[in-house]
Amino acid sequence: MKPIFYQLITLLAFTACVETEFEVPEPNENEIVPEGTAVSIASVLSNLAQSSEPVISYRDTDAYITGYVTSSDVAGNFFRELIIQDAPENPVTGITLQLNQNALYTVYEPGRKVYVKLDGLAVAKENGVVQLGIRDGNGITEIPASLIPKTVFRSTEVAELIPLPVTIANFSPELENLYISLEDAQFNRREVLGESPKTFAGEATDEFDGIRLLETCEPRGTTLVSTSTFAKFKSVALPEGRGSISGILSRDFYDDFYILRINTVEALSFSSTNRCDPAELQCGLAETEGGTVIFKDNFQTQTRNTSITGNGWTNFIEYGTQAWEAYTATGTNASQGISARIDSYQSGNPLSVGWLITPPIDLTSYSEVRIRFETSSSFADNSELDALFSTDWDGTLDGITQATWVVLGDAFVIRDQDFFGDWYSSGIVKLSCASGDTGYVAFKYTGSSAEASDGTYQLDNISITAD
Amino acid sequence: MYKFLVFSLYLLSVLCAQGQEFRIRGSVKDATTAAGIPEVRVQLTGTSIETTTDASGSFELTGELAAGDYNLSFSASGYFSLQLPVTLNPGSSIELDYIPLEIDLAEANQNLTLISLSDLQLNNEEQRDDILSPLLSATNDAFGNAAAFDFSSTFFRPRGLDSQYSSVLINGIKLNKLSTGRPQWSNWGGLNDVMRNREFTPGIAPGDYSFSGPAGTLHFDMNATALGRGGRVSYAQANRSYTGRIMASYNSGLSQNGWAYSILASRRFGNEGYIEGTLYDANSFFAAVEKQLSEKHSLNLTAIYTPNRRGRSTALTQEVLDLKGNQYNPNWGYQDGKIRNARLREIDEPLVILSHHWKFSSRNTLTSSVAYQWGKTSNSRIDNTGSTLFKTENGTETFLGGARNPAPNYYQNLPGYFLRFPNPTAANYQNAYLAREAFVEDGQLDWGALYHANRVASETGLNAVYAIQNDVNQDRMLQIASILNIDLSQKLKLTARLSATRLKSENYAELDDLMGGSIWLDIDSFAEDDATTGGDLAQSDLQNRNRLVEEGDRYKYNYNILASELQAFLQLQATLKRIDAYAAIELQQTRYQREGFYENGYYPGKRSLGKSNAVAFFTPSGKAGLTYKFSGKHFALLNAGLLTQPLPYNTVFTNARQNNDILDEASAEQITNLDLSYIYRSPSLKLRLTGYLVDFKQGSELSFFYTGSLQSPQIEQGNALVQEITTGINRRNLGAEFGLEFKALPTLTFKAVAAYGNYQYTSDPQVYYTTTLAQQPVVFGEGNVKLKNYHVAGGPEQAYQLGFDYRDPDFWWLGASFNRFADAYIDVSYLRRSGAFSTDFDGLPFNDYDCAQARVLLQQEKISPYNLVNLVGGKSWRVKDYTIGFFGLVNNLLNMSYKTGAFEDSRVGDYRSLLEESRRELPLFGNRYFTGYGTTFYVNVYARF
Repeated sequence: MKPIFYQLITLLAFTACVETEFEVPEPNENEIVPEGTAVSIASVLSNLAQSSEPVISYRDTDAYITGYVTSSDVAGNFFRELIIQDAPENPVTGITLQLNQNALYTVYEPGRKVYVKLDGLAVAKENGVVQLGIRDGNGITEIPASLIPKTVFRSTEVAELIPLPVTIANFSPELENLYISLEDAQFNRREVLGESPKTFAGEATDEFDGIRLLETCEPRGTTLVSTSTFAKFKSVALPEGRGSISGILSRDFYDDFYILRINTVEALSFSSTNRCDPAELQCGLAETEGGTVIFKDNFQTQTRNTSITGNGWTNFIEYGTQAWEAYTATGTNASQGISARIDSYQSGNPLSVGWLITPPIDLTSYSEVRIRFETSSSFADNSELDALFSTDWDGTLDGITQATWVVLGDAFVIRDQDFFGDWYSSGIVKLSCASGDTGYVAFKYTGSSAEASDGTYQLDNISITAD
Repeated sequence: MYKFLVFSLYLLSVLCAQGQEFRIRGSVKDATTAAGIPEVRVQLTGTSIETTTDASGSFELTGELAAGDYNLSFSASGYFSLQLPVTLNPGSSIELDYIPLEIDLAEANQNLTLISLSDLQLNNEEQRDDILSPLLSATNDAFGNAAAFDFSSTFFRPRGLDSQYSSVLINGIKLNKLSTGRPQWSNWGGLNDVMRNREFTPGIAPGDYSFSGPAGTLHFDMNATALGRGGRVSYAQANRSYTGRIMASYNSGLSQNGWAYSILASRRFGNEGYIEGTLYDANSFFAAVEKQLSEKHSLNLTAIYTPNRRGRSTALTQEVLDLKGNQYNPNWGYQDGKIRNARLREIDEPLVILSHHWKFSSRNTLTSSVAYQWGKTSNSRIDNTGSTLFKTENGTETFLGGARNPAPNYYQNLPGYFLRFPNPTAANYQNAYLAREAFVEDGQLDWGALYHANRVASETGLNAVYAIQNDVNQDRMLQIASILNIDLSQKLKLTARLSATRLKSENYAELDDLMGGSIWLDIDSFAEDDATTGGDLAQSDLQNRNRLVEEGDRYKYNYNILASELQAFLQLQATLKRIDAYAAIELQQTRYQREGFYENGYYPGKRSLGKSNAVAFFTPSGKAGLTYKFSGKHFALLNAGLLTQPLPYNTVFTNARQNNDILDEASAEQITNLDLSYIYRSPSLKLRLTGYLVDFKQGSELSFFYTGSLQSPQIEQGNALVQEITTGINRRNLGAEFGLEFKALPTLTFKAVAAYGNYQYTSDPQVYYTTTLAQQPVVFGEGNVKLKNYHVAGGPEQAYQLGFDYRDPDFWWLGASFNRFADAYIDVSYLRRSGAFSTDFDGLPFNDYDCAQARVLLQQEKISPYNLVNLVGGKSWRVKDYTIGFFGLVNNLLNMSYKTGAFEDSRVGDYRSLLEESRRELPLFGNRYFTGYGTTFYVNVYARF
């Protein structure tokens, strides 16, 4: 064999090397702080608040805001949005960024400090919260993916986020877009104590979002946890216990009520099994009303804009200045002729509690006693209406708070997520399993002049029947 | 001439029959110029007796041999080999004054086609390894040469046939993969120097090695003695798939003590080819050693090892092609300033063949071989589904993580996505503009972002989000085959082959690279678990719930396929005065079984774990044909065959990665093949005209895709990753081939070639869909897919060539051809032609369904015709004992941009979505095109000794 062959074999070993092995690259720790004027998130919000226009565009500005990321799309509960606030602890203001990108958690993880250049962006209130995006007509749209690296800069700092402890009663627009926590919370008994506890957003009736009633025990309050049906934990059952929850305070899609949005189920620590549910009367629902009418009132005999009186009603203010009153209204949120209502709007009351109690119901003479009524609401939020029942009230005003009142567990009372313009039937609620001779049904309103709790409840068409 | 020569040799040998020794003397001349040819290898085949001609072309062979019939072979590079039968009697002395060797222009061409052989395949993620053209490089007719060389860059398929209807054999061992039925070309890539000894059986014509199917059989003889003595070194440079190739080979020829060996080493390399980011990294090694045990017995061992790694590209939509051009490849991005392609294909399958040749009489041989092939094929891709398990306080499992497809050409990154609305707003246009800018400026994978994501994940206590996944298939194939060739009489020849093949194929996903991430959770993050399934659906293996895997571990799926194949072939050939006739049968038994090692969460128990039912096919085939010889110049050829072919196992197991399911009604494909040719051959004119009909019945196909159009009572939203199982596919390929070679001057040959075909579906096959989202198969309406009269996507149905070859007596040559292609149809989506097209979520038709509109939407796109001009030329010199030469070629001289094929995207398959798509200027899921190369070159310099 010719030597040239050997030479060629040797040459083979030296011929062009093709790169196919790669090392893990070193992270680049050089942070880019935008050059320009640092402005606060609060100033962006106030720009919008002070303007008569629904959208404010930033052009030819070198301003940038600084914030800490609080939202995470790691579980798919946030989608193409990033929520930032001005401090990792005790934040004052937060804002939502609309970004046309998925898996933001792989870039902007919770706690990451970011700088957002405002040039080219626009701010508007969308779905009830203040958001930054790109102007699109009279609204805004997502910042396109190609602009994100030129708009949202990362700092190397990743801070530990401490949720802001708040109570539901303190919910206010200032707290929107902030990472908060609620102590002593539990999901409402109807969400979790049934035969099969509800999931976060995996029920057949959940469209877009699953909305679940959350309450705090002390101080008492109710709000809603909203979870996307695209969340990876949508099919996880709500925990039955009681404890703390942290998430971002926001508004629902139609800006009707407050919602809490969690990043992952890690946000819940409901380890206590000691729930704070009220005692309940649960005799079930009847198909039809009884043939014998014991009591019926549609408030048509009341005088508008005065307190409900007569016809056997007891109208009692436990706290504050607000009483049940007669009213009429037309439009979207119409009354049914004359109806009854109570609110706490601009009442100045730190606490408003008002009772409206039916005349006594004879539970021995009648069989299969049942009650039906209708409710509606406006801006209900953290204000509450409870339908209560007692068999030991002595009929005196002083005795109201001394008596044992249990919740009419089967009665449906309008919830925050229900349409405010409609009247909802309670269902035909049986009272027949109550032990006692004489019963009373009370409609108890709890609210305050705080914005989150100053809602209105409306009541009408009460009928108590028996066989 | 030839006949006369044979006759005279025969006469001479008889007349001079005296003495113990023999002597053959002669002179080899160029048939065109009558000049003596030096360095021609002259050998008595099957013996160690050989010599080479001197400078004047003369030679003398002497020796001692038993009397009998021998073949005297003459071979020289650049010339056709010549075999002369001689009868040696003791004391023979044979004088052969004028042995003409024809210049073989094809040799250069063959070099080229073998070069392009593994270039074209593997480039695309859609695995266009169904091409056939390399097969034809062994033919010596104008049509075959054109198809092999000039037509190959366009995926032209002779007669519209897929390579699964062909066979490739090396030393009698059939090397088609049982998984696909197709030959794996890259397993013998880079071995050009030792692949010259090949024999092509066109179509169902009679073969010397095996039963040849509709697309023919290519047999390589890689025994050490078959490779002429000498060495060759070459270097090639190109800009097509690799940028450089270096190759060296040496064949010893048969030594006096009965040994022969042959070795080859080559390397092909390139950081990118014509298509960006397509790296090429291939080494090839070949060794063969043969020992002549006695005059009748010899043993040969051939070993082939061709590890290769290629970066792949992908079919692109028109929107992407318009923005980035036909060299664009979204599969790569820079890392550390170097190109990194996410989709690599690595094939590493050594092959060893041990053969025993038994020449039990001068014309009768039995060749028995045993072959073992092992190794692995792996395809890499980015896995963007990395998740982390989180258990709630009451023990419920949920999974966090996952990320969007990082492909830069993902539809949501393209301008069209932002303009998808009927009335786009100013912001939509702005976004589209920005997306366009970003895509045009960059448009490549962002490796840094993937590493960053994993680093962030790891810092926040999450598992890796991105990883490189290898889909691995690790085969161990053992084959034993015997081929018997017997001349029963002067007129009757028998060929038989028996073979048995066993294959154990391991298939699994391998975590190749965690890209800086910590660890990987082996679950399916798309699983929609609810309270009743509690995280079970997501499990890759219920036996190892929520398993954490590291680099190098198997995950996702893990199963074996056990396959066996028994073949028996018998053929009789009769040679009469006017008629040659043959008849052949083949019986084949094929058996497949899957064995699952993971218990898949969607398919618990035996549905995925353990052995599946065995699937067996018994496939008899028969064929017969005759050649009628009008004269020495005119022939008519008729071939007729009824064939059956088993399904390859990757069609039989409908979702092998997840379960043991088997295709409903798995039946063998039935093929009727008829062809009729007229051949004219004179010294100045060669002509062939062939008409053919290949009719396929009961074919089956399996494909996988993600679609949004499976709306049905089972899957309301219609979004599902599905397996589409189509059976009862009937189609017909009908057409004609024409080839003409006219030797205007001894040095100048003109060529004209034409192919005209029609490949259409002739039935409405059955189709059903399976998905993890539905317990039962999803069937629409009567389960038909309305394919009848659609064209089968089988490359251009029309191809034409005009060209010439000039060979100067002064050892330089030049060729040029003009080629035109037309009537290539794109691959239609079956889903769009199934009941799914018109069915709404409740199983009833869409209430706005309009038949006339539907017809417009379902029209099959035809690819525009295009013309390619190719140039080829070379020169060689004699320097002492060396031949030094170069040749080069330019393909697509006019830099024509053209599409070679396309397919419809079944992501959109229903009437409403398709209507919406048709109204968009830039469809979201438009047809995806394969494009041809622009002007490319190839230059090769070589030295022979």
